[in-house]
Amino acid sequence: MSGHGDPPPLWQYQFGRGEQEWEEQDWKKSFWCLTCKVVPNCPGNDYYSHCMANLPIIAVAGLLGSGKTHWISQQIVAASQSVLYCCPGSGNVPIDAHWIAAHFPQVKVVDEGQEMQHLIDLDPGTIAYVELGFHLDLATEFLAVLPCHKVAVLPPGYEDNELRNWADEVSESKLTPTQNSLDSQQLIRSPLEGEVIDPASLNIFWDELTQGAYGDVQRAKGIFDLVDGRSFHFDFVAQMTESKFTELPLPRWLDGRPQRFSGIEVGGNRLDSAAIAQTLQDCCLAEEMIAYYQEQIKAQPEEIPV
Amino acid sequence: MKMAVMSCIHGNYEALDSVLLDINQHHAEKIICLGDLVGYGPHPNAVVEMIRSLDIPTVQGCWDEDIVEGLNSCECSYPSMLAEKRGKAAHEWTNQNIQPETRSFLAELPLSLREDNLCFVHGSPHSQHEYLLPDVNAFLALERVLSTGADVLFCGHTHVPYVRSLNAGELRATVKQPGVEQESLSFAAPLKRIINVGSVGEPRHGRPNATYVLYDTETEEVTLREVQYDYQKTCAAIVEKGLPSIFAWRLAQGLEYAEKADDPTHVCER
Repeated sequence: MSGHGDPPPLWQYQFGRGEQEWEEQDWKKSFWCLTCKVVPNCPGNDYYSHCMANLPIIAVAGLLGSGKTHWISQQIVAASQSVLYCCPGSGNVPIDAHWIAAHFPQVKVVDEGQEMQHLIDLDPGTIAYVELGFHLDLATEFLAVLPCHKVAVLPPGYEDNELRNWADEVSESKLTPTQNSLDSQQLIRSPLEGEVIDPASLNIFWDELTQGAYGDVQRAKGIFDLVDGRSFHFDFVAQMTESKFTELPLPRWLDGRPQRFSGIEVGGNRLDSAAIAQTLQDCCLAEEMIAYYQEQIKAQPEEIPV
Repeated sequence: MKMAVMSCIHGNYEALDSVLLDINQHHAEKIICLGDLVGYGPHPNAVVEMIRSLDIPTVQGCWDEDIVEGLNSCECSYPSMLAEKRGKAAHEWTNQNIQPETRSFLAELPLSLREDNLCFVHGSPHSQHEYLLPDVNAFLALERVLSTGADVLFCGHTHVPYVRSLNAGELRATVKQPGVEQESLSFAAPLKRIINVGSVGEPRHGRPNATYVLYDTETEEVTLREVQYDYQKTCAAIVEKGLPSIFAWRLAQGLEYAEKADDPTHVCER
């Protein structure tokens, strides 16, 4: 040990509420790795590769569609400790957060706006994944005040990308994201909570959307409640051969309009948001049709497992 | 005799014009049209006027009937809510823009035409609205051809061209009734064919090109023609005339505007 004694809680460093005020440089030099506790002279004095890698907060950034959520889900599967997940900047359409919550019920998923408090009060032994949307400024205050291990999810060949300079660690992505400049991307989001979608119509809409009928779509994802009560996750990245459609492991909703999250997010260029909204609206069932179909489905005999 | 058979023009004048030119270049002696002159496309009156002025024998398509009789579709017309909304928008636009003489012409079209051992219908002999998809079961396909008394049934409606030969056709019917001995009947049928000629104005084969068929009545040879035309003109007219702009995009992709039958087991109930 270096003689600094036990490290104070993380937040004390960050918000000046501890016993000492720290200049940034001093803070970096004196930062305690909460796992190995050997800072400031960790092996090789390799601040980033050793100590930062053991920080309990992992900020994950990447290009549009590079596989950030996929990378995080892999870490969750491998994690032996409690996991907290948040996705700041996802607004009222937190598709990734709901995907994580549905697939990993053991993960504590933090709502938009509550991230900082939960990260400050992070329980010992808990690891937090902070997924940063492509549209967020990497110099955001959120990151500036949190000591975190920064991971960029990038495909091979992005040597000059600013994310590579930003990151402590680069995870190689197998997905090929958009080549476009982040600055030129539009992002359209819409919550759809309570809406029930006709699957055949959604199929047409999704094909049109991903094939360019409403602009140059680089990334599209959504969670949709279908008329049979199931909730589906749709996922498209330009240059992928096909969209991915997966049913979320959630109970069927057959009692009126679903009181659970659904929504869509589309990223790209020259997007016709009015046409997207109108077409999606044309895919939604009216109240009486929802009731009609739900009654029919409920009247069907349950399948008896063999 | 070399005969040209075309269908499903759907108000696409540019496509019709190019197809007629191609037919002329192939020296077809007769042209027959299998209907759907209007609907979705921006030039319904011009298409009907062209067909009428050339005196092309034409059967009534489902869209032609709908414009005359009003919408009364079976579920097979619209496979989704979105398709239904778009189809109804197109119907409303066509209904508002069509001229009285065009409507009268469509109302007088026959449901089928016969030429020796050839029969011409829009969808099937059963209905203009019924899809004879290429993978419809053989019993139904053969029954539909036999019902016409012809050897070759020409149809359209699916917008995807195909030729289907029904070889060594034999129909077997078994009648079972309680207390009555089971009775079996069988009918042998010679080779029958179904020839779907595709679509001039609303192709559904992944390219915007128009399709039609050349048929030689002596050799029974079928030649599927795929004709390029300036589809961008039609796309521009769709937008300019206030039809849903998604129709222009779908036309350029070689996709159907709205209707898309994909259930070969469905029997139209209209």
